[in-house]
Amino acid sequence: MTGPATQVGLLTNTVLFCRALREQGLVVTPAEAVDAIRTVGLIDANDREETFLSLRSVLTSRVEEFPVFEELFEVFWVRLAGTPQPWKVVERETESSLKQRVRPSSPPSERKELGFFLEHWAEASSNDAEPINVPLASSAESNAEKDLRRLGSNDLEEIARVARRIVKKLASRPSRRWKPVRRGTRVNLRRSLRNSLKTGGELIDLSFRRRKQKKTRLVVICDVSGSMDLYSRLFLQFVYGLQNSFARVETFVFSTSLQRITGHLKNRAYEQALDSLSANVRGWSGGTLIGQSIATFNSVWPTLVDRRTIVVILSDGWDTGEPDELASSLGSLKRRAGRLIWLNPLLGSATYQPLTRGMQAALPHIDVFAPLHDLASLRALEPHLVL
Amino acid sequence: MRDEVRKIQELLEQQAYVTDVAVATSLYLAMALGKPLLVEGPAGVGKTEIAKVLARALDTNLIRLQCYEGLDATTALYEWNYPKQLLHIKLQESSPASAAEKEESIFGESFLLKRPLLQAITDHTRSPVLLIDEVDRSDEEFEAFLLEVLSEFQVTIPEIGSIRATHRPHVVLTSNRSRELSDALRRRCLYLWIDYPSFDKELQIVRNKVPQISETLSSELTRVIQAVRTLSLAKVPGVAETLDWAAALVALNVSQISQDVVSETRGCFLKDEADLRKFDAEVDADRLKEMLSPAR
Repeated sequence: MTGPATQVGLLTNTVLFCRALREQGLVVTPAEAVDAIRTVGLIDANDREETFLSLRSVLTSRVEEFPVFEELFEVFWVRLAGTPQPWKVVERETESSLKQRVRPSSPPSERKELGFFLEHWAEASSNDAEPINVPLASSAESNAEKDLRRLGSNDLEEIARVARRIVKKLASRPSRRWKPVRRGTRVNLRRSLRNSLKTGGELIDLSFRRRKQKKTRLVVICDVSGSMDLYSRLFLQFVYGLQNSFARVETFVFSTSLQRITGHLKNRAYEQALDSLSANVRGWSGGTLIGQSIATFNSVWPTLVDRRTIVVILSDGWDTGEPDELASSLGSLKRRAGRLIWLNPLLGSATYQPLTRGMQAALPHIDVFAPLHDLASLRALEPHLVL
Repeated sequence: MRDEVRKIQELLEQQAYVTDVAVATSLYLAMALGKPLLVEGPAGVGKTEIAKVLARALDTNLIRLQCYEGLDATTALYEWNYPKQLLHIKLQESSPASAAEKEESIFGESFLLKRPLLQAITDHTRSPVLLIDEVDRSDEEFEAFLLEVLSEFQVTIPEIGSIRATHRPHVVLTSNRSRELSDALRRRCLYLWIDYPSFDKELQIVRNKVPQISETLSSELTRVIQAVRTLSLAKVPGVAETLDWAAALVALNVSQISQDVVSETRGCFLKDEADLRKFDAEVDADRLKEMLSPAR
């Protein structure tokens, strides 16, 4: 038997632990907290390793969360060890629980715990309204917040991995539509019955159908003017990854004029591709004429864009040209494209407001306006790059 | 440690599966809480093996659903056996049964092709082990569908009605992380990460699985593999590769690892051209001795 107060103690401890994890960005909902409480009842809660492994199994859901969990568990275990018989509150009907009953049913330390919990509850729930407390899918990644400017070679691998994932999605997406095929897994009943009329209503040959494949195309237009230098280099690395495993990517760069670099990125080692780029691209890291460059794109390569095309523009929006020209060229691009995505590295900083004239002119025509300053934002692109 | 956990560990070890407390604890909790277990880790560390061994240890059926892009409900859950239905209609054409009776007969269980998920929930004798392998390969639509099945263990077939599992299957999902799984699916599962095994664990695996191998050879070989894993290769050798190599060396009657032996058989654990070159450079630089030294 366990007294109500000790139950509260267990609840308090576990819920506090769950809250602490949530504040560190782990996805720990009340459902997980309930599971955690059930778990503690199922295991030998005096065994540190077992408690650790069990709670980790229940409360984490990706390996990147392990360090955070480990750290917090350490804190909790030490803190709990200070209180008498910390986790050991929902023992089943064993001898030890009989002994436990001798303990005062509500030790002062646990009452304090409850008060602590209530205080924190109030505090935490008022915080909940703020977006900062919302756990993001990838926020547990320790290097996720690292600015793209400080990337190591590991991160470059991660960039390549994200690129591969997106490619996989772009390459084969089953559409909702069907097409008839000679052999398949799904019977095309309509066609089979229709064919059976030839044989007087006898169904002899079955027709089949399968889903059509969606083919998405990607057009990337990248700002390589001075202000964008660091970001565009890294973004091009990402595009390079995309392009080499996926045929339907077209890449352009612009600063004051537009240039197609698809060929330079294709079928070369990355270093070679970079050499070839720097030898051939004029005005790399020069001034910026966004509107004019996009107008050029519209007039010279109109056939590259259709409803199944996603256009990605990477620029900080510092345009030295006319905002009207930018607005009209973007408008006409938007009308033809399946989706228009504008990536702005500056959007990653909390204080940035898209107030530049260029950005103001562009905003009404953009489907997705997203930051691109760290790995997390690159990963967040994934859902947008699929039509 | 709880007895149940120790028992599971023993059961797994009886099946010649070298395990650790983390695996046993997760399996115990998955069974005790009735939740699916999501196993992640690099390729070739024995993720799939967990489910197979679990099925053997519990002496129950293993039902495997291999995921791939485009996998849909008809291949994962059920489908009607159309040709059989059509044949049956033809055969019954002259029978006096009414249309309603005929219709009922062709939508009976014998015309139902049970796919893995349906098989798993219609096992009426005991809980089977349901292995959903490489779930990251399926697309999001299928993942959503899977969530539905995994939360209720109940499916509805319009012509028959709802079927609910009498014995909930033990579900093990594996993922190679080629795609980020949805948080919803992750949350529904317990989580287990399996990394490449430590030297001692791997050595034990080698000795378990390739019993003919000598003691020196097995520890030398394991040391080399462990060292190779630190080389930052494109395709890091998994445990499966270690075992392949061990079997190859035994078949070749090798008693000791030398430079020649390694360069002849390195194809067993290196499957990428660039990796081969990288490894050869290491061997040429006379690092093999370093790899073999127990100090590592």
